[in-house]
Amino acid sequence: MKTAVRKDLTNEINSGRKARLIFICLFLLLILFLILDIFLGSVNIKPSEVIGAFFNNSHTGFQTIILKFRLPKAITALTVGIALSLSGLQMQTVFRNPMAGPYVLGISSGASLGVAFVILGFSSTITPESLTGFGNWILVAASWVGAGAVMLLIMVISSKVKDIMTVLILGIMLSSGISAVVTIMQYFSNETLLKAYVIWTMGSLGNLTVNQLNVLLISVSAGIILSLFSSKMLNALLLGENYAGSIGLNVRFARAVIFICTSILAGSVTAFCGPIGFIGIAVPHIVRILFKTSDHKILIPGTILMGGAVMLASDILSQLPGSETVLPINAVTSLIGIPVVIWVILRNRQYSDSF
Amino acid sequence: MEMNSKEILSVDSLRIGYGSGKNENALLPPLNASANFGELIAVIGRNGIGKSTLLRTLTGLQQPLGGNISYYWKNIKDYTRIELAQKVGYISTEIVKVSNMRVYDLVALGRFPHTNWIGKVGMRDHEIILDALKKTSMSFFAQKFISELSDGERQKAMIARILAQDTGIMIMDEPTAFLDIASKYEILHLMHQLSGSGTKTIIFSTHDLQMAISQADKIWLILENELIEGAPEDLMLAGEFDHLFDSSTVMFNSEDGTFSFRSETKGAVYLEGEGNKRFWTEKAINRAGFKVSKEKTLPFIILPTTNHSPWKLVNGTEILEFRSLYELMGCLSRTTTRSI
Repeated sequence: MKTAVRKDLTNEINSGRKARLIFICLFLLLILFLILDIFLGSVNIKPSEVIGAFFNNSHTGFQTIILKFRLPKAITALTVGIALSLSGLQMQTVFRNPMAGPYVLGISSGASLGVAFVILGFSSTITPESLTGFGNWILVAASWVGAGAVMLLIMVISSKVKDIMTVLILGIMLSSGISAVVTIMQYFSNETLLKAYVIWTMGSLGNLTVNQLNVLLISVSAGIILSLFSSKMLNALLLGENYAGSIGLNVRFARAVIFICTSILAGSVTAFCGPIGFIGIAVPHIVRILFKTSDHKILIPGTILMGGAVMLASDILSQLPGSETVLPINAVTSLIGIPVVIWVILRNRQYSDSF
Repeated sequence: MEMNSKEILSVDSLRIGYGSGKNENALLPPLNASANFGELIAVIGRNGIGKSTLLRTLTGLQQPLGGNISYYWKNIKDYTRIELAQKVGYISTEIVKVSNMRVYDLVALGRFPHTNWIGKVGMRDHEIILDALKKTSMSFFAQKFISELSDGERQKAMIARILAQDTGIMIMDEPTAFLDIASKYEILHLMHQLSGSGTKTIIFSTHDLQMAISQADKIWLILENELIEGAPEDLMLAGEFDHLFDSSTVMFNSEDGTFSFRSETKGAVYLEGEGNKRFWTEKAINRAGFKVSKEKTLPFIILPTTNHSPWKLVNGTEILEFRSLYELMGCLSRTTTRSI
């Protein structure tokens, strides 16, 4: 028996080492994609000139491309990837549903509704590009409210209905309902606003102003800090509300924290980049498979690294290196995310009882 | 009321149920009960009478409608969530299914009320977790995923988790339901050991009345109108278990603590012979609906004296021989229905 215990201890130490190794690899991968994302693009710029752009103050066209376009875009991609993946991870744990994610459950739709109110509803002069300063905070707050409202609704529903499929179907119904409302709003709005809104819905990482990027960075940072604080609560929630309560978790408080965190993360991204699908649902699964653990002390940092890396990779792909075409980012993330989701469904066909 | 120094839990006029105010739906009349240090207490009652609700209320997962619960002479309302979780552990009937969760991680969650804000498992926590695994003989499974465990192993892992939680009181809702007989007795043995060492007070609900009677130090018998507590034997002598069965089909024998079906007696049979064979033959003819008569009547059965001799059914002049009780029963039900 003693040797068995000792063997387990070594196993444990090994698994700790293995996790550290995966973390290092993920981090390097993230840095690699970040560099590639800056180096590659529709305009061919020599690597030496890219590096030069950072250190010389020669105001060449290349420098403008690198510092004003590629760098902000790469930072946006990184932030968006982290935010969506983290919100997906939290939702999957809180709803104990492997298929939960900001896009699938309609949280992104809710955020769109908030944005639609701001863009289509209240002002005839506001477009996402023209927003400055305080206006961006209004846009992002509207998005939080929209995301939060749907999240709250899903939380209420899932406390009454335990069946995962039913919750998912209701999420889809909610999304459709919200789309219908938005369509009506589109019908009554004028042409310019309509165009601005439609372009926004296609999702884009590259259209953010410096001011918008700042708002996004501040909001997402707040969300990340909050999520780091939630790892203990999330671990307890894995066991379900009853057990979580019996080991001393204030379940209501925990749900509220995670609710706020998810709404901020998913809402902020949607406000500036449009609804981006399948990253939030797919990345947490990739991380679980990689680390083979359910411990959020590992899953949260893992998801942060992996989410950033996957989104940067999507951005690199969407630019189709060497060509001038740029694919909509939403199409790329769907093509990356959907196979993962299908794999999860096929792997455990009774996925309703475990995740 | 005199303070009992051994008392770890006292329940006074506790009203359990759902809702509040006008919509209040109390399940039972006010309940009174108590538990001492190191006792193994079985909660018995019909399905849906409110056993689970009582246990949930005792764990603090559900608000009582009224009355008091005190642990260590302190009202449950005066404990913070974390303090309560350090005193009372809980296992529900819910089966925990989380993929990628190792047994070690599950048990480590028991340290939740003892760890810091991020839930870091320190050296002391680690030792307590290993000790909990050892006590439940789950050390070998530490790095296995809980989805790979059998029902019995999973229940042991849950008990290890509650041990890691390091509480004086363990509340378990039907810990042996869904288990096969071997795992059931293994779990029961474990519970007995834990309470017997005097460190844990275990309150568990069960439907297995015979198990409860043979193992528990005390029984909380929940009936429609009251909660009766006492040693199983006391309740037996007072005939309290009879209240569990209002139906006219099942009968509880207070003499040996077994159940039997109440069926119309088809007649009486005299048994000639002693020992082991007599015991089992009596069981068999009882099941077939016959009583054992004290006086020699017709028909009567002569029990085999050796392992190779047959059972003999004597009905007047006719004597039939049987190799097994099975054959005897087949014949007995036919012959006597005709003759009586």
